[in-house]
Amino acid sequence: MDLLINPVILYVGLAIGALGVLLALPRERVNPQLIGLILAAGGFGAVIIALALRGLDAAGLPNPHYYIFAPIAILSAIRVVTHQQPVYSALYFILTILASSALYLLMGAEFMAFALIIIYAGAILITYLFVIMLATQAPSETEVGALSPYDALAREPLWATIMGFAIVAVLTGMIAQGLPEIRPAGNETDQQMLLAELPGKVLDDLDAKRVFREMERPETEAIGDLYTIDAASRTMTLAVTPEAAGDLLERAEAEDRQVAKLLIGDGTTLADLRAASGAGGSVRLAVAPEVRVTNLDTVGWSLIAGHPLALEIAGVILLMAMLGAVVLARKQIEIGEDEKLARAAELGIHTGPTDQMDSVSGGGASS
Amino acid sequence: MTIASLAQDTIAAGMPLAELYHYLFVAGVLFGLGVIGFLARRNLIIMFLCTEMMFQAAGITLIAFSKYHFNPDGEVFVIFVLTIAAAEAALALALVVLLFRRKETLDASAWAMLKG
Repeated sequence: MDLLINPVILYVGLAIGALGVLLALPRERVNPQLIGLILAAGGFGAVIIALALRGLDAAGLPNPHYYIFAPIAILSAIRVVTHQQPVYSALYFILTILASSALYLLMGAEFMAFALIIIYAGAILITYLFVIMLATQAPSETEVGALSPYDALAREPLWATIMGFAIVAVLTGMIAQGLPEIRPAGNETDQQMLLAELPGKVLDDLDAKRVFREMERPETEAIGDLYTIDAASRTMTLAVTPEAAGDLLERAEAEDRQVAKLLIGDGTTLADLRAASGAGGSVRLAVAPEVRVTNLDTVGWSLIAGHPLALEIAGVILLMAMLGAVVLARKQIEIGEDEKLARAAELGIHTGPTDQMDSVSGGGASS
Repeated sequence: MTIASLAQDTIAAGMPLAELYHYLFVAGVLFGLGVIGFLARRNLIIMFLCTEMMFQAAGITLIAFSKYHFNPDGEVFVIFVLTIAAAEAALALALVVLLFRRKETLDASAWAMLKG
């Protein structure tokens, strides 16, 4: 198989991008930020266009929206790194987050896309903004809008850029070489299989489509014990109790056979259902095409059923981080021994070892 | 094209190799920019912001491979990455506030000589 991208284009594009980032990094006096940004955009744009052309051959183009959001993500990431004012850096980082959550969406990970916006853009970045505003010196009155020296100057921009883009070049180059040897690891957990794994998913979906009435829910529980789902052929085998089948039939006839359309596949007719219910046998029903596993089902099932311990540990980590942050950020006030005593006397607390017994009895008497 | 149909089409079709590489490239560049920012900027807060950008790149990679392999574990791992990022942000920012109180500056090189 061909390489995923022409290595010459990849490395030249990355080198141009590196030059652009180097120019855009904050420096003294001459500050060719705009030129740097244009150069970087040109470099990365060339790589992405080359990728698109190669993808066109291999019929592997992503959704067209990719070509909007990927450049936004990269350009705003460059601004995060190069902007001289921390507040703007944080705001551009929010833009990066939004663009990459759009990329998540394009890949079909809706849950993580919105979780990313809520957690990152909504919570973490706001904390950053608070700290930026908290920990920035008030500008002196003589020079309004002046930058702190540590914001206005980059530290070793040349070596940092060379290092960073050496890493990018090695990563992307090596991945382009090695990726064709990685095959997708089967379809074991794809949605067809997952349909069988998710308990009650099909019944719940049918329920949501009001196939079963709410009052009948206890009876559908009884059905739930008696059904099996074959995911590969998307059929559900229902051991029909006469009552449940009677309900289904009643409903199918009352609703102009909507239920029949939804539930009953090619092999099964209403007459079959009626016959089976009479005999107390089982019916094979085709699962309606609307019933499918969503991204939320997949993530939720994998999280709770697959990684319960990790989930618990994540909770503990968050708790400890909260405690740690409180302990670290607490302001320690130095008070002398005399001040402590004076303050205690003010509050009416008896302290010290000498009058401890006294205070216990005295406290008891006074209250 | 609605969001739902976008997503479901992607799931049903699986992800071709060339498409996977598109996403990996963006992730790689974001990671590299994070490294550059961490090395080149002198503001402590921006340095931590750049580590968050590297987390972000890891997240894109995880989701891309998760979709490529039809394996939801990758997506679930992003949840844990977010958890760690949140914990790290809380602790790091508390540290930054602590350091700022000591020296009234956010310059990382002000702490070049660690003497407690």
